Amino acid sequence: MSATQELKSNESRELKSNDSRELKSNDSRKVLPGRASAAWKQSWFWAWATTIFVFPLIWVGGLVTTHDAGMAVPDWPGTYGYNLFLYPVTAWLYGPFDLFVEHGHRLLGSLVGLLSIALCVAAWSTETRRWYRWATIGLLLAVISQGLLGGFRVVLDGRTIAMLHGCGGPMVFALATFLALSASSDWASARPVIPSRGMRWISLALLLSTIVQLILGAQLRHALPDTSPSGFMSLVHLHLTMAAVVTLIIVLVAIVGRSGTYREAREILTPANALLLLLIVQLCLGIATWIVNYAMPWADLSQWLAKYAISAKGYWESLIVTGHQATGSLMIATSVWLVCRVWRRQGQLVRNPQSFTISKRLEA
Amino acid sequence: MKPARCTSDSLYGLDSYFPKPFAMAPSVPPVILNTTPQRLLTLVAQMMVILLTCVMVGCGPAKIEYRPNALYAVSLHREQGDADHTESEESSTRAAALAERWFGTADSPVWPSELLAATPGADEVVRMDDVERSAGPVGRGNDKIERGLYRKHCVPCHGVTGDGRGLAASMLSPYPRDFRRGTFKFKSTPTGVKPTRADLVRTLHDGIPGTSMPSFAALELSKEFKNDIESLVEYVRFLSIRGEVERRLIAKHARGESQLNPDDESAIEVVRLVVANWASAATKVLPIPNPPELAPEQFNESAKRGEEWFRSELTACAKCHGPSGAGDGNSQDFDDWTKDWTLLAGIDPKKKSDWKEMKPFGALKPVIDKPRNLAWGAFHGGGNRQDLFRRLVLGIEGTPMPPIARAINGNPGLTDGEIWDLVHYVQSLSSVPSSSLASAKSTLDDTIRSKPEGAVE
Repeated sequence: MSATQELKSNESRELKSNDSRELKSNDSRKVLPGRASAAWKQSWFWAWATTIFVFPLIWVGGLVTTHDAGMAVPDWPGTYGYNLFLYPVTAWLYGPFDLFVEHGHRLLGSLVGLLSIALCVAAWSTETRRWYRWATIGLLLAVISQGLLGGFRVVLDGRTIAMLHGCGGPMVFALATFLALSASSDWASARPVIPSRGMRWISLALLLSTIVQLILGAQLRHALPDTSPSGFMSLVHLHLTMAAVVTLIIVLVAIVGRSGTYREAREILTPANALLLLLIVQLCLGIATWIVNYAMPWADLSQWLAKYAISAKGYWESLIVTGHQATGSLMIATSVWLVCRVWRRQGQLVRNPQSFTISKRLEA
Repeated sequence: MKPARCTSDSLYGLDSYFPKPFAMAPSVPPVILNTTPQRLLTLVAQMMVILLTCVMVGCGPAKIEYRPNALYAVSLHREQGDADHTESEESSTRAAALAERWFGTADSPVWPSELLAATPGADEVVRMDDVERSAGPVGRGNDKIERGLYRKHCVPCHGVTGDGRGLAASMLSPYPRDFRRGTFKFKSTPTGVKPTRADLVRTLHDGIPGTSMPSFAALELSKEFKNDIESLVEYVRFLSIRGEVERRLIAKHARGESQLNPDDESAIEVVRLVVANWASAATKVLPIPNPPELAPEQFNESAKRGEEWFRSELTACAKCHGPSGAGDGNSQDFDDWTKDWTLLAGIDPKKKSDWKEMKPFGALKPVIDKPRNLAWGAFHGGGNRQDLFRRLVLGIEGTPMPPIARAINGNPGLTDGEIWDLVHYVQSLSSVPSSSLASAKSTLDDTIRSKPEGAVE
């Protein structure tokens, strides 16, 4: 056995025994493997359930905006005088499409609210990580805030509130994704790769830029009717510039993820590849969104474009525009995934002096 | 050795219960991780607060109102050598106030019936129940009827006032129509006459290919929305009348003809005149003869004759559309919506420094009105033979495309047969086979054209 392997083995043993001592002294239930495993599974289950249902909620919310259905139901929290859950199913399913979408959005929102309560209960009864417990409370508050924003948007008929509501949705999705990821086996079993400040900050920059990009997109989608053309054009240019920035960062992540240290690190490459795929889809959807909304700016380029008449509120047009918004949210969630994987593997080696010592000793 | 501090994560001891598919760095020891999610959460929360604050700051006013026609007022005053914008502001403000008194607000439009008692057909010009349904904010009331159709479908391009200055306007080509001038391109009435309901319905139904004007045909698939196009047309007519009245009132004030008091008879006369113009439009539709039925060979011969007319001095088609019809002529003209303010204000539209002076008042960058590339077969006002005949004899109002001289009532010009030759030549420029061109007809066009004005109702 080489000196390095021996040292590694000793370090491992030392840390393990230290773990056990601290476990026993802190909380006896934490040392029970079955209990710990069950706790993990509960948080994992409810966090993923919440995340999975937030995505269609965002999609349906996007449809509400695409079809201008925000005021399809004039009252809140009820629906046309009924309790939200008691509104006749036939009136909902066979009524106008905008009412169908808006009421469906409310019901789905309620379901997400219930799921986040379940996550809170699961976390506070079984979780040992204090920050995780409080983060579930944070998610619940975020979901409640979104519900209130949605409600005020209806009661006050405020498009500005609608825009805030539209920005808040993806943030809830990002937080739910973070909670789901931090309850996963990958979070627990993560192993350090090689310390790299660059990748950590790139991943954070990506998260930040996707959020900014989504907020700009929401500004475009929810622009007030009396917005000036120059103001709107500036927003469009900002959105395009930000798209270039996001593209650049994702390409950078993909290149760095395939080079040197990370070549074999699938856990970094997987979200990086997913982001690359989403980026391609998103860029196509972005161009298509402009075309179905405002036609090609250069219709003189070809006969097909010159003959193409856009269709207002057509089926495919709605799907494209809503898909562009939903894919934006998915990119934020995937950036959270990347941030979690990168920071979980690299953060401590730089920040934790003990680990730093170990690394130095190994190097020696 | 002092051991590494154990984090709460590691208390689970999960390393031993879950597989480790990612342990791919054998040279690195299994160090217990100590990431700082609290720091991350705090950072994300801080970023959220900053970004949402930025968003809040960027929010505009919530009250939606008709915008006064400042550009026209400034142009008129500049025409009269008055560079002081105070007077132009007074003209536009007074005219807007009077227009609001007679036509209401963007949320609550009204019709000045009391002023129009003596105007024949005035009550039929605009259907106010449709106008009320189209105006105002988008949404449904407790009666479940959808309102705010105009803001839902049209405002992003045409603007709340119908001034063609919606939020996306400056990025579109051509710019969205400004209804306030009362000028519409694709219609069945001669130059200077308003369009019929059917003309506007057709534009909304078909859209305008190659431009940002969409087709609203999808609305007709729904039982609930099938009348939305007609409702929107009523509101477009309303906005056009309101806007034209406002323009004429501004002109009266700028020229010192009226102080724009509500009881000023000359101002009231403006309303009557504009409404009367719209009321009489349906009676002035130009009838289009049926196209001749031709065999493919006859069509080709006709097209050959048409080519000569196309290149002749009399029609001057080739001057703008180019000798091959590819739109590569030497026309560098602007449309009437641009000339409207550049000529009045004495501005050279090609000079950036000149037109930028008018930007604060609502001017968009002047863009040359390009002639159509006829080889594409993409005609904005419809591509069947009757449509093309109509375009030739009526021209496209508001653009450099003039009506062709037609030999009718003893006037010199092209006979109907010669105009059909020209139509066939234009059609032959596109890649569609001549056999199908000879019988090409738009079903929708024929349906709408065959209806009298009232039938669309």
